[in-house]
Amino acid sequence: MKIPRFTYHRPATEEEALAMLTEFGEDAKVLAGGQSLIPLMALRLSRPAHLIDIGGLRELAAIRERSGTVSVGAAVRHVEVERSALVARAAPLAAAAMPHIGHGAIRNRGTACGSLAHADPAAELPAVALAAGASFVVRRASGERTVPASEFFLGYLTCDMGPDELLVEWRLPTWPVTAGWSVQEVSRRHGDFALLGMAAMIDTDPVGRISTAALSLFGAASTPIRVDAAEKLLTGEPPSAALFDEAAEIVKGQLDPPGDLHGTAAYRKHLGAVLTRRCLSEAAGRLGAAA
Amino acid sequence: MREGLAGKYVGAKVRRVEDRRLLTGRGRYIDDLNLPDMAHAAFLRSPYPHAHIRRVDIDSARRMAGVFLVLTGADMARLTNPFLGMMALDGLYDPVFYALATDRVRVVGDPVAIVVAESRRVAEDACELIDVEYEPIAAIANMAQAMDPMRPPIWPRARSNVLWEDSQTYGDVEVAFAGADRVIRERFAQHRQSNQPMETRGSVAEIDPVSGELIFHSATQSAHSLKWSLAFLLERTSVWRSIRELATNREKPRKFVVGARAFIKSHPDLRTATKSSQPAMLKQLRREPKRIVHLSEALLGLLAKDPSRRPRVLAQDIGGAFGAKGLVPREDVALATAALQLGRSVKWIEDRNEHLMVGGQAREETLDIDVAVTSDGTILGLKVHMTMDVGAYPGFPFNGAFFAQMVKVMMPGPYRIGALRFDTTITASNKGTYVPYRGPWAAETWVRERMIDVVARELGIGRADIRLANMIGADELPAAMVTGPPLDVRMSARRTLEEALRVADFDSWDAIRDQARSEGRIVGMGLATFIEAAPGPPKFFDYISPGFSALAGVEPAHAVLEVDGSLSVITQQVPHGQGHETTLAQVAADELGVAVEAVRVRYGDSSITPFSLFGTGGSRSAAMAGGVVTVAAQELRQRVVDIASDLMEASTEDIVIEDGHIHVAGTPAIGVSFAEVAAEAVRRRPGSPSDGAIRVTSEWDGGAGGWAQATHVCWVEIDLDTGLVTIPRYVVVEDCGELINPAIVDGQIRGGVAQGIGAVLYERAAYDGDANFQAGTFMDFLIPTAMEIPDVEIHHLQTPSDIFANYRGVGEGGMIAAPAALTNAIEDALAHLGARITEQHLPPARILELAGVIEAEAPTEVGPPDYSAAAAVPAPRPSLIRERMPTLTPAQAQAVRRTATSVRSGARRFADRYAGRP
Ligand SMILES: Cc1cc2nc3c(=O)[nH]c(=O)nc-3n(C[C@H](O)[C@H](O)[C@H](O)COP(=O)(O)OP(=O)(O)OC[C@H]3O[C@@H](n4cnc5c(N)ncnc54)[C@H](O)[C@@H]3O)c2cc1C
Repeated sequence: MKIPRFTYHRPATEEEALAMLTEFGEDAKVLAGGQSLIPLMALRLSRPAHLIDIGGLRELAAIRERSGTVSVGAAVRHVEVERSALVARAAPLAAAAMPHIGHGAIRNRGTACGSLAHADPAAELPAVALAAGASFVVRRASGERTVPASEFFLGYLTCDMGPDELLVEWRLPTWPVTAGWSVQEVSRRHGDFALLGMAAMIDTDPVGRISTAALSLFGAASTPIRVDAAEKLLTGEPPSAALFDEAAEIVKGQLDPPGDLHGTAAYRKHLGAVLTRRCLSEAAGRLGAAA
Repeated sequence: MREGLAGKYVGAKVRRVEDRRLLTGRGRYIDDLNLPDMAHAAFLRSPYPHAHIRRVDIDSARRMAGVFLVLTGADMARLTNPFLGMMALDGLYDPVFYALATDRVRVVGDPVAIVVAESRRVAEDACELIDVEYEPIAAIANMAQAMDPMRPPIWPRARSNVLWEDSQTYGDVEVAFAGADRVIRERFAQHRQSNQPMETRGSVAEIDPVSGELIFHSATQSAHSLKWSLAFLLERTSVWRSIRELATNREKPRKFVVGARAFIKSHPDLRTATKSSQPAMLKQLRREPKRIVHLSEALLGLLAKDPSRRPRVLAQDIGGAFGAKGLVPREDVALATAALQLGRSVKWIEDRNEHLMVGGQAREETLDIDVAVTSDGTILGLKVHMTMDVGAYPGFPFNGAFFAQMVKVMMPGPYRIGALRFDTTITASNKGTYVPYRGPWAAETWVRERMIDVVARELGIGRADIRLANMIGADELPAAMVTGPPLDVRMSARRTLEEALRVADFDSWDAIRDQARSEGRIVGMGLATFIEAAPGPPKFFDYISPGFSALAGVEPAHAVLEVDGSLSVITQQVPHGQGHETTLAQVAADELGVAVEAVRVRYGDSSITPFSLFGTGGSRSAAMAGGVVTVAAQELRQRVVDIASDLMEASTEDIVIEDGHIHVAGTPAIGVSFAEVAAEAVRRRPGSPSDGAIRVTSEWDGGAGGWAQATHVCWVEIDLDTGLVTIPRYVVVEDCGELINPAIVDGQIRGGVAQGIGAVLYERAAYDGDANFQAGTFMDFLIPTAMEIPDVEIHHLQTPSDIFANYRGVGEGGMIAAPAALTNAIEDALAHLGARITEQHLPPARILELAGVIEAEAPTEVGPPDYSAAAAVPAPRPSLIRERMPTLTPAQAQAVRRTATSVRSGARRFADRYAGRP
């Protein structure tokens, strides 16, 4: 299939890009790496009249660390996040997710912010953002706002952004050095979107009891989701296999995932328990590893 | 090995000559072809699985800027002849239909209109402007629904969605079952799969601006079959016009008729076969009297047609087919018609979504099997009932029923099975067309090898022991399958099994598996042995369909010394990944004493290649083309030597050809070149230089033919948390006779194994319970990548023989055995959990269901009812055809008889063209 006719724009500055978004509104789409948008257009499922390519916006092309946050600009490709020493040190949960995203060729073009703005519930990075307490800097010509991850993902391929807004930055709080992390998923083939996946983080207090727990699932619902009940159970307890098993059962009980061609709902629920066990034991093994 | 055959190149891993072109992106696939002023086509397709078409409004599409032409089903009915089934099987309903849907759509993706425009994008835009009013009809999504008399028939004239029922008995089945200690029963279900080559279908219909001639560039497996099919289907002409044409120009059909007579005379068995199928043909005509009109129009039209109006088919590089491109796409007929109407070249490239929907699907078969055994594991006989879901539109010229016959004939495999009853039920559904897919009959191997494991388990006998006890050994050969085909002394399936058991160290396996289990690891190993008719014993196809060997059997080739001294082999094979440009050059180079680079293999152009309908398929090319090129090259060598001996005034016996140099034995300094011989040949025979200096045309019937065989051993490890299956080791022990190019043989085996693994663990052309297609992208239809496929360890055996051209095919075998070996391994791994593997598709969720880890969900694919229960309470199921035949008036009956006679003679004439010696 061929893409319907559209007008291609390549603004040189962010200001220009925002002006175009204001001008075209609903008729425009931001083009980042194109790894999700272009296939949708080729299947004629998305038909923007204008594409605004942000690939040339130099000011959005950096990964920076400032005042307790790691920030990833809108033009940063997956591969740059994957290879960044800064991300590996200060955002190890994000780093752990990167190899799971598609294949090398996709990571060479796709962007982290594109994945987040696209809000595919089966994608890794939205779940990472949710587990890590990340936030998003969203700009329009008339101003800027910052949205926490917990309020950003609204539904299937839907996030809290207007048609005239641009996601300019993904901000991750600098990793607490004592915390452990894990990203695991099950997919049918290497590089496929996950049937179910989990991004997990646990931290312990000085006496070795779990002080923070974040279990964030992807592929489980129309948005990434946290499992509060399991996180509560974990908090205040010393990590143990028995505790993780209990958490796993809670996760399984709380999930109401969709069934499809690749796996039934029962299968995905079961994977919820499996991934909880696997992620928690890996994360427990990494407690303090970022120090 | 035979001396002289095993020359310098045959048997060597010669680097593929096509690779330089293909690996540097300079292959010439259909989409690489861009002609001046070429237009582009797109198809509007049905979103409904089953619906009446009440109205098609093309006005706004036609008016859109950049649109040249819009055609619908009504135009096809006016401008083309319909597709007509050519399989005369008694009672089979074989429908009549057009390239574009006329009054109803029968599958999601059914083409409703073709739009030709200045670009593909504009054509797709215009498709969106076509307004079709559909009235949905209840759809048939599976075998159970097809057998439900409350559901509407997809083909109203069939009056049922059961298209064919048949029963065949070989040997004394009653005695076999009466003498059994036990009868073990199981049902096995193969899911809908799809060939999915890298290159989808696609064609360029080129119109020569001067002559108006149609040159059809296509990714086809058979250039001549496509050419004659198009000639048959295109440019509908009324009977009267054809007759007028024939009356005014009596010379025109003469060549045709003379050739047909000669062809039929030289194939007496074809004649008896046609005779025996006449009642079936008549029944078809009675059921659908309009067939006669269509057949007469098509056949007389073909006779009356000026040869320049027959298309020329050209195929160049083809990105795979696996069987699907041996059929004539309906889209090609619409495309060619559009080009002829416009007088302008038009390109259509099928996209992946279309190819997944309607490019061909395969293998949806359920087999109920009863095995009569003695308690020591001797298999006495089988009763098999196969139900095959052939989808909506039958393939042309091969429909599913043809492949059902192959499953039946191949059912005994290499085993001593003395009695077989084989029942066949063919059902229609609102799904994609059933096409042959790499070993289309492979259900027999999967079911037999799975069932042998079941019997072993039931009787408490080892899986290797029961195979060894029942498999035919060298000391029993020659023998024959109970279904007919002979097994010659080179049938070495049992040797491959014995060698595989040794390579795999089978005897220690049970201990290894149990040890792993005690460590919490779930591992399994599976065995499967098969034989493949590649090319099969002489006249193999007559066992499948009487008379078919005559149409398929003989392989032609030209060997040419060109006027400039270069050498060509011209083959009717249409390579699409098999590497014929290399292997056939190897064979010719050895015979001619030249370097492999000196032989050019030409193919794919129906105007220069020798005539055969078969094209490339059925794993036949090594044996058939390898054989005929040997014969042709030997004859060409003789002709070269004759002239060289004159030129050098030496006796022919003293002439040798080495490294392209022709000289007298012992005096290499004095000699002549091929160019000098060519010049001399031209001097002696002034003729058309396009025919070359010396042109040899040979035919080869396959000689003794024979079987290819192999045993596969597959090891699996299963993660019971996730249901994911990994394959740590995979062994193939095979015997395909002499290897022309071991690297190509290994590549064919590996590719086949990969597709077999894909079928079991990943690929499924899924529909929901309302026949809506679920797998329209590669995110839904999962093809394994290099990450999922293990290294395949291949061991070659060669049963010594001195027969001529002892080559046998390996194109399909990898895929025939892999599903059996893999599913057997999975059951071995999960047996202690009570898992029984009776379906072929085992995605991770299903593995966990079978292992009892998660709750099972109801499948969307429902098989046929339990035949055994039906048999216990015999439901009145009279043959649909006899029961509901429309009664004809005497006048109609008279018309039927009259036209039947003309059809018969027309068919004879048609056959001549097929013989069509220039
Ligand atoms: C074969 C394949 C496999 C894949 N597998 C995975 C996988 O396993 N996991 C995974 O997470 N992803 C996967 N992807 C998707 C990939 O990660 C995409 O790159 C990503 O989802 C989108 O990023 P992009 O830069 O390509 O965005 P684009 O495709 O350019 O845009 C996606 C959407 O986001 C919007 N958008 C992009 N950037 C911005 C912005 N700055 N502000 C506002 N809106 C914006 C666009 O308008 C569009 O609607 C896969 C893709 C393919 C083709």
